[in-house]
This record gives sequence, C-alpha cells and structure tokens, in this order.
Amino acid sequence: MKKFISALLCVSSFSFASMIGLEALGQEQIAGGSAAMAGRGFAGNAKTGDAEGVSVVNPARQAFDSKVVLNLNFLLDVSSADHKNSHFTQTAISMPSMNLSFPMGDFGTFGVSLWQHYSASMREDFENVELNQKAEIEYQSSVYELVPTYAIRLPFFRPISIGASAHFVMGSFSRNLTLGPDNSKIDSADAWATIDTDVSDYVSGDWEIKNHPAYYTFAAQYRGRMASYFFSFTTPYTLKNELEQNFRFSELDTLAPTHFTREVRVPAMLATGVNYRFNKRHNVMADVAWRAWKKNIDNAAGSWDLSKVTKTQNDFSVSLGYQHDGSDIFYDSYWDRITYRAGAWFKNWYIEDVSELGGSIGAGFPLGRKGTMLDLSIQGGVRLTDDDRNWSESFIGIRLGLLGVGSWGKTRGQ
Amino acid sequence: MKNKKFILFPLLAFVLSSCLFDSDDDGLSSWLSDQGMPSSYKVETLTVSDLKPTSVELRKDTLPRTAWAGGVFGANAGLSHDIVFDFALDESFLANLKVADSAKSLLFLYLQDSYYKFDYLPSHVLPIKEDVKLNVSWKISEKLNYAEYNALATLSDSAWFDELGSWKTNKKADTTISISITKKDSLLTLNLPNALVNDVRKNTGNRRLQLRLSAPEASHVFRVYGGSSSIYFPRFRMVAMENDTTFSYATYVPTRMASIVSNHEECSDCLVLHGGVSDSLLLEFSAKPIMKALSDFYGDEFPYSKDDGFDVRQAVVMAQMIFLKDDAKGESELDWPIGVKVCSFADSADTVVRRVEKYLLANTDSLDKGYPNMVFFGDDSLKLQVTAGIRDFINRAHDGRSFKMTMNLDRAYLIKGDSAYYKYDYARYDFSTIKSKPATLKLWLVSKRDGQVSKENVREEE
Repeated sequence: MKKFISALLCVSSFSFASMIGLEALGQEQIAGGSAAMAGRGFAGNAKTGDAEGVSVVNPARQAFDSKVVLNLNFLLDVSSADHKNSHFTQTAISMPSMNLSFPMGDFGTFGVSLWQHYSASMREDFENVELNQKAEIEYQSSVYELVPTYAIRLPFFRPISIGASAHFVMGSFSRNLTLGPDNSKIDSADAWATIDTDVSDYVSGDWEIKNHPAYYTFAAQYRGRMASYFFSFTTPYTLKNELEQNFRFSELDTLAPTHFTREVRVPAMLATGVNYRFNKRHNVMADVAWRAWKKNIDNAAGSWDLSKVTKTQNDFSVSLGYQHDGSDIFYDSYWDRITYRAGAWFKNWYIEDVSELGGSIGAGFPLGRKGTMLDLSIQGGVRLTDDDRNWSESFIGIRLGLLGVGSWGKTRGQ
Repeated sequence: MKNKKFILFPLLAFVLSSCLFDSDDDGLSSWLSDQGMPSSYKVETLTVSDLKPTSVELRKDTLPRTAWAGGVFGANAGLSHDIVFDFALDESFLANLKVADSAKSLLFLYLQDSYYKFDYLPSHVLPIKEDVKLNVSWKISEKLNYAEYNALATLSDSAWFDELGSWKTNKKADTTISISITKKDSLLTLNLPNALVNDVRKNTGNRRLQLRLSAPEASHVFRVYGGSSSIYFPRFRMVAMENDTTFSYATYVPTRMASIVSNHEECSDCLVLHGGVSDSLLLEFSAKPIMKALSDFYGDEFPYSKDDGFDVRQAVVMAQMIFLKDDAKGESELDWPIGVKVCSFADSADTVVRRVEKYLLANTDSLDKGYPNMVFFGDDSLKLQVTAGIRDFINRAHDGRSFKMTMNLDRAYLIKGDSAYYKYDYARYDFSTIKSKPATLKLWLVSKRDGQVSKENVREEE
C-alpha cells in the first residue's frame, strides 16, 4: 500500500504537457480528466448508471449510482509545439483525478474528488556554447481542487436529482529560469568573473481562493428511460496567487525576495448535456460548457521580456460522444462485456486565440466479476493559436482509468 | 497487472516521442525567444569610481588566544607576542624542592618544523642568532585540595583568557637568553631566572603555576609547538639539588597555553594591519554614489522603493572594490605575498551577520600572475571581492543602509615550490591611503529588465 501511495504521489507531481499559458493557469483538465469521459470526447456528464461515479461538472448525476466507485485516472500526454518550421516536443505523465463516490440509498450519494484542474509544467535544458546560450526552464504550476459532492433524488419526482459540490482550491506555482552567462557585451578580460555563476530567476507562490474557502457547483439531473439531461451552474471565484520573486545563486544564496499578488477572476460556468440511449446499450451524448471571461490574467512574469498578462476570451467546450455499454452479464463473451467509446470535442481555451480540436476512442475492460474495470482511451488533436508567443500544438495522449466498484450495505440476493 | 501498467507507460512514452514526434535542435531556443524568455543572461559591467569611505575604523587585535596547537613569542613588525603556560604542580615534588639545597628551572620549547625546516623558507630567515631579553612573570595559586587540583585540567580556555586579559602580578624577573637557530635545530632550552624556582620552593601542597614569557625587544618571533603535539609539547622542568652531585627533577606539561599580542604602533591615525593576528579595518561607504551610478546605468529609480522594497530587478554576479596600495609601506618577515581577507555584512534571520567573502580565482596561473587581492605582490592596486556584500546591499538599499566591509591580512601563500603553503607571516601593512585615495567599485551585473537592458553607459570603463 505504501508503495502504491508513493507511486501515486510521484505520478501526480507530474503534469500535462501543453506549453500554452504556462505563465497563466496552464492547461485545463476538462471533466476531471477521467479516462472514461475522455474516451467519449469528454461528453456524457448526463449519462447515468450503476457506477458512473463523481462528475465534477454535474454533481447531481451520482444520485442515480447504486455502487461505491473508486476511480483513479492517469494520463500520458505528448505535445509537439510547432511554429515556422521549428518544433519541440514534451512528454508528461500525470494523474488528473481520483474520485470516490458512496451511494447511501435514500440518503443520497456522497462523493469526493481530488482534481488537478489546471496545470502548467515544463522542464527543459538548453545549451549552445557557440552562441553563449545556456538555460534551464522549469515551470511547475498546479491548481488542485478537493471537491466533496452530494446528490440526492427528489422524494416524489424520482427521475430528478439535485446535487452540489464545493471546490476547495489549493496548489502552487513556481517558475525557475536558470541561466548561464553571456559575456558578449563585456571585455574579454572581465569574463573570468562569471565562471560557474549560473543565476536563477525564481518565482513561487501558492494558489488559493480569495476571501472564500471554496467555490461551488449546483446541478440538476433528469433521468429518462431513453434521454437524460443535466444542467449545472458553477459560481465565479477569484484565484489568488501570492508570489515571491528573487534571484538565486544557489539554494541557500538568494536575494531577499520581493512579493506580489496576482488575482485571476474566473467567471461563472454554465454547463448542460444530454445522453440518449437506444437499443439498450447504445448511447449518444453531447455536452456544452461555457464561461465568459472578462478580465485578463496577470502573468507571473516580472522579468525579461515575458508578457505581463495573458489575454482571455470566452471559453466554451462542445463535446460529442458515443458509447456502447458492455454487457454486465459475467457469462457473456469477453468482447461483449467490453465498453466501447468514441468522441470528439472542440474547446475554445480561456486564452485568447487558442482553441483545441480533439478526438478520442476508448474502451472499458472489465476485470473480474464485480464490475472492476480498466478504462483505456487514446486521444489526439491540435491546439491552434493565432499569435507568436503561443505556438500551435499537436497532441496525442493515452489515458488509463482504474475503476473499482463495491456494493456496501447490500446483502446477498438484493 | 498494476506493475505491467507502470512499465507500459514509459514504454509508450518512448515509442510515441521517438516515432511520432521529434524535436529539432533550435526549437526550444526559438520558443524561448518567442516567449520573451532569455536563453542566457547578459553580463554587463559598471564601474563606480571616486568612492571615499565615510568612516574607517581600525580594530586592533589584542585578545588572548589559544596557543595549544602552536604558539609564538618574541616581537617584530610593531607587535610583540607573549606566551603563557598553565601548569599544575603536585605536592610530592614541591616537598622535595622545599628541602633541597638549591634548585633551578628550565623550559624546553620545540621549534615548529613546518616553518624552520621548510625547504623553501627564504634564505634570509635562518640562521637566527640573537640575545633575547626575556621578561618572565608568574602567578602561584593558594594551596589546592585534591578536587581543585584535578579541576585544573578541565578549566575552559575562555575563562582563562578572561583572566589573562587583566594579568597582574608582582612576581617577575628578567633574564637574557641566547637563541641560536639554524636549519638543524629543533629545541630551545630556556634557563629561567632563579627567582621563579625560589618562589615556587616556598610553597607546599598542590599548586597552580601560570608562567608568562615576553620578549618585547626581540627582533624575531619564535614559533614553537603547543601542548597538542604528541611529541614536541613544551616541558617545564624543576630540578632539586641535594648537593653538587645528587639531584632530582620533575617535568611538567602545560594544561593549556595562550598567546597575547601587544600592539606597539605609534601612529594613532595610521591604518596599520598586522599579519598573523586578527587586526581588521571596518570601512563604510555611503550608498549615494553607488545608487546614483546604478540609476544612471539603468535609467531607473535607485534605491528601489516599490512594494516591500527589496530590489530583485538585477543582481550582482561579481563585485570588486579596488583600492590603491603601496607595498613600500609594509614590512614582512618572509617577503611572500599575503592575501587580504574580506568580510561583508548581510542580513540573515533578522540579524546582521559578518560573512567571509568567497574568493573567485581570476586566473589559475597564479604563480606568475598572482591574485589581485594580495599585498606584497603585483601592481599598485588591491582588488577585493565583495560580491555577497554588495549583492545584499543593493537588494536591501531601500532602508537607507550604507555599504560596510572589513578587511584583514590573511596568511602568506602563493610561493614557488609549494602550492599548498598557507602560513602566517607576522607582517605589518599600512593602509592609510584608503582614507585619502578614492576607491573604485566594479560591478558585474545581470538584469531582468525588459528588452535590451542598458542604455549605453557613459560611466562604463572610463
């Protein structure tokens, strides 16, 4: 168990691979980054079932669950940034979310999710002796959310449930630019003074919500025989990042830092979705989420020619998906018990002129007879940008989800 | 299954990144420049000339120090060095001594081989032949009980040094000893005055004897082993003579040893530092000219006063304070270059600490070119590195602080023949020109201001 937990922590300290918006919030992990959702193009927040588990967009959904679900998600992401015939590639492994939902029958369903909502990550070394260039760039930013959720079906209108979640935000930002000297502007007789004097421009600080412990999501879900819908509203909030900035000559030898605080005003989010089930095990689904950004985001910046703000735009995502549910009869053939998924999405990022177009296929492989499952999805796509600072990227990723299902409090035959 | 997945991940990462994508060599560097990130820091130099210290304080080192590892006595270059021994005398031999017909006492001191037998010792040092006038003074304690006698071994040095700071005794005697040292000699035998042993003979019981030797008129300092040496420790011997042919003796080993320095410089305004001791100069420079030079250089306000005032817009990679020097104003025993050690002051955990400045070698070919931070070497400038001090000073200059540094003579090194040689040279050096001739501060700077940092600077490299 100890080994498993340290492996989890190790993996979750890595982050997603996009190089866009590193100075702002970084890349957003849609829909909790669950492997099952990713397999159907991040659509299907309206899809209910025995063991669909926590949805961070639609907390009302889990009211229809009947089984305890523990779900761990892993992501391997390879992004390649291109611009004017130059390109470079980053690979990252991360753990976007861990979810647990706990149905309590008539008392509703309680759930909790640990979600790496935004992440900016980069670590690259670079040296060119001829051009006097030496740099190590390291970005590590994560906005984590601990999200307890609660959902309950209405007493008399059983097809309808309502749910709410609180998002407790934590996380940190750090940027470390370690640079070697370029003596081209000084007399060669003075160059001795910069031997072994790499200097780091270092910024770090914590993320938290300003003036509030958390932000909240409220949702309502309708489950019909064929069609299910949800609608959710997420409150606006202000993220606060108290940064300290200094020069470092070594870990122990630093300047006294200067402090500043940046605030990111994240707007309210509206989300809705539909799932249509036909021929028992076929589902088509579509989701939309929308946020109207009004304020730009202050960058960590404070140095060199880094831009001071990241301009925002209205962000929205549209997802379309299909899922063929696997048979839950253990004695059916294995192929029949596999869940198949496919989907596509378009997402306008919160960053101006950045949009993402992606597609995915996925499958859920049952392990054993209790409903434990391994979700695998493969995704790919492009992130398109319009400016010189942010390069367009193509990405490919593999997600793994481990889904453990249990039935607490039920006696045999129930 | 779980294990297989963890193997699967890196494998897929490898396959994907090697087959589907690849990076070209300058991809990252052009990405960096598109982000406005530097791919190295531009080093710029700034010279601030005409700096005069607003205050200079000479701190003379006259505190007793341990001589346990080795001590000196004698005098040269404006200083005299006394050596003090602390002995525990037991009652049994004192009883013999009391009834003896006559008595005498001797002190055996062993010369430090690493100095006197050093292959590359300058030829003018040896042989030494000198009649040294020795002042011997001593203190004998009251009778000690067994517990007090044993406690002498564990008395702390610092408590003893406190007492030595105010050494007063009326028990003293002078004598003249002939000292002759050639390369073959390793032992000094000092016949101590009879007054000493006759005074000791008056006593019975366990006693403590503190013995101080001074030779302020000597023309050399004599380096001897201390009590920590396993073989060459000093020995104090008292001999009880029954008649001309029968005698008995006891030999005592010191329980602790100290050196005490006296400064005999006559010029009270002069800034004379001595080697081998911790004399130091405390220099203070006004912030104004330094801030003005930075302000002219960057076109920004200095000192920085926004936010919490800590200036992280730029940093100092190297700082050199350059003074004029005149090696003719010094006097050294060995004629070897002596390094100047620099300390600066930095805020640390709500207090100010004095830290030794690290020295970055300007060249590795040191024997020929020397280092610029040495006296008795090179040209007429003394270049002292004050990087950490200036760095901290500019970073925190918003509170109106001035720049302070200390300097003192370090040891002699950089000699032909032995690159590891690092020994005290009891020298003197007059730094009085620091008060009259302006100093120059040279800075190597890195800035994280936007764009191309500097306006061309008129002050640069004047």
